[in-house]
Amino acid sequence: MILVNKSTKVIVQGATGKMGSNHTKRMLAYGTQVVAGVTPGRGGEKVPGTEVPVFDTVKEAVEKTGATVSVIFVPPYGVLDAGCEAIDAGISLLVVITEGMVPQDTAKLVDMARAKGVKMVGPNCPGVITPGETLLGILPGMIFKKGPVGMVSRSGTLTYEIALALSDADHGQSTCVGIGGDPVKGMDYPEVLTMFNNDPDTEVIVLIGEIGGTAEEDAAAFVKQNIKKPVVCYIAGQTAPPGKRMGHAGAIISGGKGTAQSKMQAMKDAGIEVALTPREVAEKVAKLRAQPARK
Amino acid sequence: MPDVQGIRKGRRQLNLYEYEAKRLFAEWGIPTAPGVRITKPEELAKVHLGWPLVLKCQVMSGGRGKAGGIKIVNDLKEGLETAKKLLAMTINGSKTESLLVEPKVSFAKEMYISVTMDRTRGCPIFIAAADGGIEIESNPNVITMPIPYPFEPYVARKLAHNMGLRGALLARVADVATKLYKMFDAMDLDLAEINPLFVNSGDEVLAGDGKVTVNDDALGRQPKFRNDVDKHLADLPERERKSKKLGLNLVELDGNIGIICNGAGLTMATMDMVKNFGGQPGNFLDAGGGSDQEKTLQALEIVNDNPSVNVILLNILGGITACDEVAGALVKFMQKHPKRHMVVRLRGNNQDKAEKMLADSGLKLFPDLENAVKEAVAKSKVAV
Repeated sequence: MILVNKSTKVIVQGATGKMGSNHTKRMLAYGTQVVAGVTPGRGGEKVPGTEVPVFDTVKEAVEKTGATVSVIFVPPYGVLDAGCEAIDAGISLLVVITEGMVPQDTAKLVDMARAKGVKMVGPNCPGVITPGETLLGILPGMIFKKGPVGMVSRSGTLTYEIALALSDADHGQSTCVGIGGDPVKGMDYPEVLTMFNNDPDTEVIVLIGEIGGTAEEDAAAFVKQNIKKPVVCYIAGQTAPPGKRMGHAGAIISGGKGTAQSKMQAMKDAGIEVALTPREVAEKVAKLRAQPARK
Repeated sequence: MPDVQGIRKGRRQLNLYEYEAKRLFAEWGIPTAPGVRITKPEELAKVHLGWPLVLKCQVMSGGRGKAGGIKIVNDLKEGLETAKKLLAMTINGSKTESLLVEPKVSFAKEMYISVTMDRTRGCPIFIAAADGGIEIESNPNVITMPIPYPFEPYVARKLAHNMGLRGALLARVADVATKLYKMFDAMDLDLAEINPLFVNSGDEVLAGDGKVTVNDDALGRQPKFRNDVDKHLADLPERERKSKKLGLNLVELDGNIGIICNGAGLTMATMDMVKNFGGQPGNFLDAGGGSDQEKTLQALEIVNDNPSVNVILLNILGGITACDEVAGALVKFMQKHPKRHMVVRLRGNNQDKAEKMLADSGLKLFPDLENAVKEAVAKSKVAV
């Protein structure tokens, strides 16, 4: 497993909002150690429907609970402020669930996180799950199973679809990281791939990509150079028309760049197994798990 | 060229017209020619900028110059005739909204300068060339420079130096670049572009044309642009415009299978599977995570309105979307449109509840996505 486990202590920024409180309850039900919520002006209260204390500041929450991770649900224009507050308070991993951040804000937050050595997942992401241990974010826990497949994805529900296909075929997951669908973001594929490569619990890596940008092409080159474990990939948007934004801010083919075909070819050239449907991902994982480890 | 993601290619989003971009430039202290916007030919009589004048069609599409959308006129008579023709023009599918009237500018050189977000580096960048012009993508002298945060103007001077500029011209171009970045940052733009930046024989600079794209997600905090959204959505097909207002992501395609899913990646994957199994996607509609009954119903109605669609494939994998909310929408929709061919895949939170709600509807629920897609493809080939 990577990034998080059952002893990870988590605060939720924006925990008193509708989405924040709902998902705080879900995370607690999964077994996540949500130790505090943070909402300025609501210190002394409890996260609605739970016994989790709310603090006014991240600093106080960290001092009182020893939390190291913050899951951010605050509205988009408040994320830069909330993220900087968390970094300043000594949080070492930010998981930004919020959708709709302005790229200018994201770039500033990413810059601050990098400068302070803080890891950041998101924004516009489903979060991170280490099945059987902990869940951070909005992933549906019941779909995931503990096992040896490391997953990294730009998508939300597509990740659930593929996790479902894997779990149904009894290929559980070590950790699943949703890096988010925005063009500017925190962690990208190489950082997560490296962690999976070094993780003794991970045997096979599943990379889920989509049209837009060159992150998948860059990831393919990175895998060829640096990753010893077998990788299966799936790229969404094989039939997407050029010049149209397909839901995610970053999912757009432009000037002939960012097509699924280009990404799939780059993956094949790097020796990565390319699946055409979620079920095929599970089939390719099965094949790779049956083989002795390569290299 | 760095990866600037379709920022310059014709994408339907909040692009400003040239006259709006230039007003913004002027507010931020970037030199522009004095210009007047007219919507009727006779307004030209009230323009007092001397002769000759340049009349420029205000359109959203590119390729305006080549299409004959910019004309030089030497007197009022010629101006009136030309303005009438230009105002009636449609250029590459985009109707002329108005004309921008400017004095003819004499220049010695054209440069290019823009600020955009580089998604690979995760920071803003300058893109510039000392020999600008239209074909910036294929210009070998284009240079780029990541913009560190916090920004200080020395970065712009470094850029101008790398462009090969020296002395007064370096200082003037750096000043324009500095203002362009500050505008890009404060106004939440995806793109701030000056192309061309005119340089006259006295090394004075002037923005000849401008392209400004506002980030969609910024509209909530940029009231300056918010009221303009309708005007700028004018080029969108009706159902796509309607969807955008409802917060649904719709892209219409040529096929007959209407696709509705929750989540962008899953919607694309469903489209791909439809095609892989021999069907033709009629649209992409991402209803988003956490869609409630009302939003799902709106999504169903919009896809139903597309006359090319003969089957609706609804694929919901409930993470934050509750299946019973979706089922509620389905019950209402089918009461209104009992003859519509539907294939529904529903799995996730409150699935049991959803199944009970739909038990009387005669609608078969598919827990497996591949089977649902195959069923939709089969139906699309026989349905009328």
